[in-house]
Amino acid sequence: MKVNTEKVSFVESLALESGEVLHGFDLMTETYGELNYAKDNAVLVCHAFSGNHHAAGKRDGEKKPGWWDELIGDGKTIDTRNYFVVAVNNIGGCHGSTGPATPNNESNQFSGASFPEVSVSDWVKTQKLLADHFGIDCWEMVAGGSLGGMQALQWAISYPNRVKKAAIIAASSKISTQNIALNEVAREIIKKDEDFHDGDYLSKDVSPKKGLKAARMLGHITYLSESNMSKRFGRRLQDPKNKIDADVNYEVENYLQYKGEQFANTFDANSYILMTKAMDSFDPAKDFDNDLIKCLQTIQAKLLVISFDSDWLFPKEYGVEIQMSAIKAGIDSSYIELEGDYGHDSFLFYSEQYSVALTNFLKSDG
Amino acid sequence: MDNTLKLIVLDWIPSQSKVIDFGCGDGALLKILSEQKSIIGYGVENDPDKINACIINGVSVIQQDIDAGIHNYKGMGFDVAVMASSIQCLRKPKDAMKNILKVANECVITLPNFGNWELRLGILNGKMPSSAQLPAKWYETKNLHLCTIADFEELCREESFAIKKNVYLNRKGKSTWLANKLPNLFAAQAVYLIG
Repeated sequence: MKVNTEKVSFVESLALESGEVLHGFDLMTETYGELNYAKDNAVLVCHAFSGNHHAAGKRDGEKKPGWWDELIGDGKTIDTRNYFVVAVNNIGGCHGSTGPATPNNESNQFSGASFPEVSVSDWVKTQKLLADHFGIDCWEMVAGGSLGGMQALQWAISYPNRVKKAAIIAASSKISTQNIALNEVAREIIKKDEDFHDGDYLSKDVSPKKGLKAARMLGHITYLSESNMSKRFGRRLQDPKNKIDADVNYEVENYLQYKGEQFANTFDANSYILMTKAMDSFDPAKDFDNDLIKCLQTIQAKLLVISFDSDWLFPKEYGVEIQMSAIKAGIDSSYIELEGDYGHDSFLFYSEQYSVALTNFLKSDG
Repeated sequence: MDNTLKLIVLDWIPSQSKVIDFGCGDGALLKILSEQKSIIGYGVENDPDKINACIINGVSVIQQDIDAGIHNYKGMGFDVAVMASSIQCLRKPKDAMKNILKVANECVITLPNFGNWELRLGILNGKMPSSAQLPAKWYETKNLHLCTIADFEELCREESFAIKKNVYLNRKGKSTWLANKLPNLFAAQAVYLIG
């Protein structure tokens, strides 16, 4: 599999949904496979809340491969022998694209908390500029899970003639009140860290890691299912030799401590806040008199909506809502409900029916 | 669905209509309808292999148990609902019929005729009968409510389901004189347009 990691710089000004303007921006990208002569074999994969441009393959020294490695690669679900797969780190993120932790172009200072709010449609706008950069007129498919699925949906709405198929996985057309509430608790935990300094921690050379860690621990619980947690950890006590924290009793505690700490070391707190805000505000119907059906009527792409039975963060009712609205709108759309062991995170992992459905969707006539 | 049936349904369903096919199988009927009559079609199916066949056929499909879900499709602007060889598999066929007629203005129903002479002979032999239309063994069949043409049409009269068109097919899938003269005895399948 040919892998190319590249930072693509755009000089144009980007008018954001919030009304603010980014004067030029960088997108960190990673591509897999090769773009064919007709440039019609391109697939865009959009990352979820904490993901990035590294979607597949294992870099030197890396313990774990990219976030969708189980599905992207030579001979895999999205077969990189036939498709050119593009992954980006979204703006506002913290893995190389322009965000709160990158120095501002003009002042060379970190923008930190002053980085403007970004939205799903802003991301899609930047991804469209990236498609232009690659000379891709029309994606064969745009796919993503969770917040990535929202981008796939937004693509089909924003650029109807530039995407043939959109796979909207473990996502919704807007998140629930409960999800907003959970995001707010996570933000509050971060903001109350003494090292947060109203978001200007970078200029003080500190990081609110304790807050980030606790926020991630909370988030992590919501990504898994109750049954998966029970199966995986049960009520087993943690081996004292591998305790992350002396106060830890159970394996599940140690696991969350470990995951939280790992995350806090690699993620930026302002990005966390921006990403969750983007998720909260996603609601494409708001530009169509709050009428999702009217909104979906603009779509020319074929949709595949996938929900997982064990997902309680984005339960199947949300997938069904998109599908039912798509039927009312009279657009091409299929809905499948899969068994997934991992709760919301199921979208990250291979399972046979999941893989077959995505492969068939990708192969079907557009 | 065999070819004669497909031709009949193709003839009955108006161009550019919005069609829902309950128990759509591999989506073959919806595919032909969209190619030849430019319909907007959706299939409802619960078997993963059949769903995948629909996706590969480029047919829009919704994964759902029909028993649980016909009423969900009310008010969605369907012109025609199709239920081919599925009505006898449902837990409550009468309620399903009522719901289908709320989903769409018209519905196409096909059903295997348990009154066919071949099946009657099977019963006379003291065994659960089988035929090309009803091939499964008694312990494997998905059919819960098999009926004869006479039974079904009696239900339609009782419930005021108006049969607008009907065709009776023999065991070979042909609409013969005999099958139409004495359908309850000689037809193996019946196709109805109900509205």
